[in-house]
Amino acid sequence: MHWITLPIILPAMLGAVTVLALRHHLLLQRVFSTAGTVAVLAITLGLLWQANSGEITVYRLGNWDAPFGIVLVLDRLSALMLTLTAVLALGVQLYAIGSGWDGRGWHFHALFQFQLMGIYGAFLTGDAFNLFVFFEILLIASYGMMIHGGGRRRIRAGVQYVVYNLLGSTLFLFALGTIYAVTGTLNMADLAERVAQLPAEDTSLLRVGAALMLLVFAIKGAVLPLHFWLPETYAKAPAPVAALFAIMTKVGAYAILRVYTLVFGPEVEITADIAGTWLMPAALVTLAAGMIGILGADRLGRMAAFASIGSMGTLMIAIAPFTPEATAAALYYMIHSVLGSALLFLVVDLVRERRGADEDLVTRARPIAHLGLISALFFAAAITMAGMPPLSGFIGKILVMDAVRGEAAWPWIWAVILVTSLIAIVGFGRAGTTVFWKTDDTPREDELDTARTIEAPIGLPATVCFGFLGAIALVTVLSGPLTAYLQGTADQLYAPELYITAVDPQPAVVYDPASGTGKGGDH
Amino acid sequence: MPLYLIAALPFLGALLPGLMIRAGRNACAWATASATIAALVGLLVHAPAVMRGEVIRTQLNWLPQIGLNADFMLDGLGMLFALMILGIGLLIILYARFYLSRKDPMGQFYTYLLLFQGAMVGIVLSDNILLLLIFWELTSLSSFLLIGYWKHLPEGRQGARMALTVTGSGGLAMIAGMLILGNIVGSYDLSDILQSRDVIQASPYYLPALALILIGAFTKSAQFPFHFWLPHAMAAPTPVSAYLHSATMVKAGLFLMARMWPVLAGTPEWFYLVTTFGLITMVLGAVIALFKDDLKALLAFSTVSHLGLITMLLGFGTPMAAVAAVFHIINHATFKAALFMTAGIVDHETHTRDIKRLGGLRTLMPVTFLIAVVAGLSMAGIPLFNGFLSKEMMLEEASHTYWAGSPWVVPVVATLGAVFSVAYSFRYIVHTFLGPKRDDYPSKPHDPGAGMWLAPAFLTVLVVIIGVAPFVVEPLVKVVAGAVIGDAGELPDFHLKLWHGVTPALFMSVIAVAGGAIALALHRPLNRGWLAMPRPEAKPAFDLAVLKSAQAARWVTDGLHDGSLTRYAWIGGAAVMAAGAAAWFGGDAGEATRTALPATPVAVTGWALLMIATGSIIAFHRNRLLALVLMGVIGLVVSISFAYLSAPDLALTQISVEVVTIILMLLALNFLPNRTPVESTIGRRVRDGLVAAVGGVAIAGLTYAILMRDFAATSIAGYFLENSYKGGGGTNVVNVILVDFRGFDTFGEITVLGIAALVIFALTESVLDGRGGRWLANWVPDQRRAGDRHPLMMVVATRVMMPIALMVGVYIFLRGHNEPGGGFVAGLVVAIALVMQYMASGYAWATARRRYPYHVIIALGIIVAAITGAGAWLAGKPFLTSAFGYFRIPPLEEFELATAMGFDLGVFLAVVGAVMLALESLSRLARRSGAAVNPHPMDINPERDLETASNIPPEEAR
Amino acid sequence: MELLIASAVGFLAAAGIYLVMRQRTFPVIIGVSLLSYSVNVFLFASGRLVINQPPLLSDSATGYTDPLPQALVLTAIVISFGMTAVVVMMALGAFLSSKNDHIDMTPEDGRDSPPEPKSRPDAPALHEREAEEGPEEGADPTAPGAVPSPEGAR
Repeated sequence: MHWITLPIILPAMLGAVTVLALRHHLLLQRVFSTAGTVAVLAITLGLLWQANSGEITVYRLGNWDAPFGIVLVLDRLSALMLTLTAVLALGVQLYAIGSGWDGRGWHFHALFQFQLMGIYGAFLTGDAFNLFVFFEILLIASYGMMIHGGGRRRIRAGVQYVVYNLLGSTLFLFALGTIYAVTGTLNMADLAERVAQLPAEDTSLLRVGAALMLLVFAIKGAVLPLHFWLPETYAKAPAPVAALFAIMTKVGAYAILRVYTLVFGPEVEITADIAGTWLMPAALVTLAAGMIGILGADRLGRMAAFASIGSMGTLMIAIAPFTPEATAAALYYMIHSVLGSALLFLVVDLVRERRGADEDLVTRARPIAHLGLISALFFAAAITMAGMPPLSGFIGKILVMDAVRGEAAWPWIWAVILVTSLIAIVGFGRAGTTVFWKTDDTPREDELDTARTIEAPIGLPATVCFGFLGAIALVTVLSGPLTAYLQGTADQLYAPELYITAVDPQPAVVYDPASGTGKGGDH
Repeated sequence: MPLYLIAALPFLGALLPGLMIRAGRNACAWATASATIAALVGLLVHAPAVMRGEVIRTQLNWLPQIGLNADFMLDGLGMLFALMILGIGLLIILYARFYLSRKDPMGQFYTYLLLFQGAMVGIVLSDNILLLLIFWELTSLSSFLLIGYWKHLPEGRQGARMALTVTGSGGLAMIAGMLILGNIVGSYDLSDILQSRDVIQASPYYLPALALILIGAFTKSAQFPFHFWLPHAMAAPTPVSAYLHSATMVKAGLFLMARMWPVLAGTPEWFYLVTTFGLITMVLGAVIALFKDDLKALLAFSTVSHLGLITMLLGFGTPMAAVAAVFHIINHATFKAALFMTAGIVDHETHTRDIKRLGGLRTLMPVTFLIAVVAGLSMAGIPLFNGFLSKEMMLEEASHTYWAGSPWVVPVVATLGAVFSVAYSFRYIVHTFLGPKRDDYPSKPHDPGAGMWLAPAFLTVLVVIIGVAPFVVEPLVKVVAGAVIGDAGELPDFHLKLWHGVTPALFMSVIAVAGGAIALALHRPLNRGWLAMPRPEAKPAFDLAVLKSAQAARWVTDGLHDGSLTRYAWIGGAAVMAAGAAAWFGGDAGEATRTALPATPVAVTGWALLMIATGSIIAFHRNRLLALVLMGVIGLVVSISFAYLSAPDLALTQISVEVVTIILMLLALNFLPNRTPVESTIGRRVRDGLVAAVGGVAIAGLTYAILMRDFAATSIAGYFLENSYKGGGGTNVVNVILVDFRGFDTFGEITVLGIAALVIFALTESVLDGRGGRWLANWVPDQRRAGDRHPLMMVVATRVMMPIALMVGVYIFLRGHNEPGGGFVAGLVVAIALVMQYMASGYAWATARRRYPYHVIIALGIIVAAITGAGAWLAGKPFLTSAFGYFRIPPLEEFELATAMGFDLGVFLAVVGAVMLALESLSRLARRSGAAVNPHPMDINPERDLETASNIPPEEAR
Repeated sequence: MELLIASAVGFLAAAGIYLVMRQRTFPVIIGVSLLSYSVNVFLFASGRLVINQPPLLSDSATGYTDPLPQALVLTAIVISFGMTAVVVMMALGAFLSSKNDHIDMTPEDGRDSPPEPKSRPDAPALHEREAEEGPEEGADPTAPGAVPSPEGAR
């Protein structure tokens, strides 16, 4: 029954032990950290199976009943997110080990585990303020990961990243304060109950809270105009970290899905318009900005960053209608986007590691080692992110387009999706042909010995990349059953009463001190 | 063999060449061919049934939720195209084996070729339009790879990109079209769609769907105005040109139009769109072809022209025209592929494709000449060759087609096209092979090995057979045409024969041949005129468009993301305020329900102090030291007001955090410039001030609105007050909440602290290793340093304070559960005491006396907290479930022990460790900067100085 | 009283927002800190203002203020302390390694071709070379005695 806590506790302990005992032994760090990641992956698979039955598991921390204590809640969505994260984490970690990235600075594995702890916690918690705490954990760990290895440009980009997210955290607190001040509770299920029966004259305050909350999640999800932190961060971060960050934007998407189906759901008319009307236009602009960025970027890393922005746009387009069908499509696209962006970032790193002074600039350069292999991987990653067949990007795109047919503006949405994918195709085409085809062997004055091509570890990194590619292929081939599962997940989301009754079995008792009958833990 | 296997075989086969190339080029070619042969056999197995008019289907669910299924269908039309794709594919594989040179990576080539082949087969066998779309885009991708095969050639790269862009965009348009079509019908199954002609043509979405699908088809089949990509795709190796750009890929568009013919054709929209563009393409292509000197370019444009011809026939919308179209598809595939291969042979042997440098090859390359003549005459439409028959039928159909009411437009323009196609066909033969032998060929020409001419020879044999005895293919044509026409009309009863009697078509043919001959005779003057004539060049325009859009994208992207955080913050802030305002005014706010507390003089004083301090920070923030002092003041006032507003714990925490923060920032400021220069313009400051003011007012308003209203529903707080002692065993409710009710938050909180310390440490390391460290090493502080860095008084004082501070810490820790205090505050107090030692006696001295590295302390803190929490598992309780009891050890009075204290201990350790590690990292920077180390607690020590003045370490002396 | 608090929170926030939009890291950090003061008080205020009723259970108490926001603010204070520490150090690190404490990144220190001398083509980019020695090499810098002597440092 305690399994549900392990995705949080285990990485925390592991991180602590790594710092305590292993901080000078990279090899041991690698062994233990990988073992831990694998273990958590196994656990999440178990949780996925458990959630698959449709029952919602609630874990009352400190044995205090909701809404007074903090609860962890496992439903199909959170289980899905956990598993997705665990899979990504394993791949990223192996890549970091294989490419030697984890040795280029201190505490990579500890921070990695703490990062995972934060992400898992954010997916599991059923308490609004606790969500804030886990956001902070994953953020501060990400600060460390992002500047891992140092370097002046990376650190300066890091400062911007930190400052922007500090502002985001501040905003989150404002939102929480406002919501608590109105509803007098923090537990999401309890919030849902109280919001549903909120008196009319308090709606303004609540709406402000809901709006601010949406913006907070929009920052995490890199939705325009709050995406500015992303490009430089992802482009400058170490590749494995950038790949891991593929899930971080999805935390924002997850939070939006959770809060705006459970608490401020589409049927709550006082707040329905907030997420209902604002998200779609923002999502369209985000998609456009991202895909244009692919064509406009002058470095592969930056290109990958914009590609992930674009995919967030598509994801948000699918979330915005807040219908079960669209949400199912969104979830599929989320899986695709995580795997695709991760792959792209790693492939870009394979290139960067071999191009020396040219780094990842989209420019003519000497042919890199393992050109054929890497260009093939890039080709695959590019068609995935551009949404070309046969990989998951195309399936996801079709699903999303099919799902938004109900929207009034569907022709425009389709137009944006299709035109932007053309832009992405052109962008990737130009970059790929330049970097992989337009090579020259003529010596360059700014290089001492042009004869040698730069060797970098290929075995494990390439294996990981092919692993991600395989996962993408799997997601494509099994899209039928997968979508069926996701449909179930979406349906569960749009039946919030299941969640509410699971967390807090008694009918909504707004606590009354006079009667002195509270819902207490068994003490 | 199941159809999906036929489609899959080439894809599976694509894995072979890459491996087999290690076993040699022949093995590679054979492996490739075997995959194709297998698929071909599998196909032919179904041939009898199909010829009987049956339709074979296999179904395979893929994504049933939206009706994307791997359903395949084989009917006459699919059969014909699959045969062409696999059959000609086989010949191409053979041809390529001998065409490619040793330094070309053959494995790659065959892999790409098979990928393409699979995609094409997929297109023609799909029974589901979404599936068809997938294969459609796949052909774009694989042809991209094939065209760019010679990646060292810029033409190759550009041609590949252009083809990908044009056909890719067409594919995207088609996605939209197909989805619309599917939504009209309510199914993406081709079989269902082909049944619903009336529904589709009645739907208001018919025209958009038609237009979008036609864009897809036209781009693929290089119809005007998208024809320009095809010639540039000729940068590909000749086998590719022969395969993709004559026989298969460019026919995909035709296939699609034929496939959709029953449901889309027959309307005026269809007629005018398809016929007109087809007609234009046909003539334009033929004209341009006549004036191309590059053999492949000539053939490329002739292909464009013939595709236009077929498109036009499909556009007519009459069953007989469909028959003609089908027949010409077959014939064109045969003679055009053969011609491409001869062009490749000539190129291969003479090392040039420039007609101007050729001629007189007749005797030098007799075999090639023979093949070229037969195929060329067929292309020209000369009797006894298959081209003649289908062209006759075309002219026949054209002769009685009305365009916008006029009976003349189509026949005249069609004949004109025919004239030019005769002309370029003749030119291909005459200028390349006839005429005097030359002695300036780039390379000595002679016929190639059989390997290279077998394939085209085989095709020319077909050309002749069909040309002489058309009835042999009649059943095939009938079946295919039947499939094309479907339910849309009756398959006319026709017979393919050489002699149709004296018909208008015959006259038109005669005119065409005669005109063509004349045109060729006049080629020189005509050419001069053509060159003189201004012609719009597609490629520069296209390149310019792409370049411009790339620049635009670059401009937008870099303009939007210019790396200016101040701007990002400004935009974000504006967005937040707008959203907040919209949300606020979207609802309604009731009036105040609380009565305001009186503003006591104390409060007002504090408020004034705070406001002044804050105001001065804005005013004097450039003086960084002053700003820090003011920040301290603000923190002080805040903590006092916490105390005043019945939050003693907050007050304690705030004040202690304040101290540590200020110390930290002071140490950091030691390295930073201590003034902020004036940079922003007045205008900017006004803008920022405005934003800030609006934000401030909004937040103030929000706060006030909250303060003056009660909770809408009773807060859960009451529960904590009630159960804090009962259930948590503590009277300090805040502390009980922290360590018990919401202990999980606290667990996360200390983790954050720990991580922060680790991050800081790692950062310091990388800075010290990097240029930062190199720079620090010879860094000269900009302020004078005090001579006496470790003053006697301070050392003594801190030394005395140390135990007291520790005791205070312990005390605060123990009382935490019931009185204000707790692990966090205790931790900070102890940390401050320790920092004092560092500040007083210096880094090295203090470090030398530190027993446990701070890493360990942090880690222990987290572990202790976690283990305390997990301890509850032993009791079968959830994580963090607390237990407590009261004990009495005489003579002490009764005291309480709660597991929560263990948790609080974790907090304590984590805080001490984190703070210390952070500050220590800072002082390590200082060390690197050359601040002297003191082995002794204080700089001035009488007795030590009395002992000896000699053993003072050098850095002390300076 | 409420008015005082509200105006104070607003003014702190305004000052914070203004300073966050400055161009050097230090004022930005000050601004962030001011914002966190503001939000802490705000969060605290979400429990409404009460005088002389601390949430310390005792028989003499006439009533108690809402303890929950206090707990939340405590957590928030601690977290923002950690965050401030990190951002201060990062700003410092950025300044030390680029001699430049501008918060904005211009192309030349941002995306475009690196100004840093990346002489050897067979070596990874500079910032990666900088960090190539990992924890396994170099003794524990925090362990006593292992600290590099100032001579070594110079």
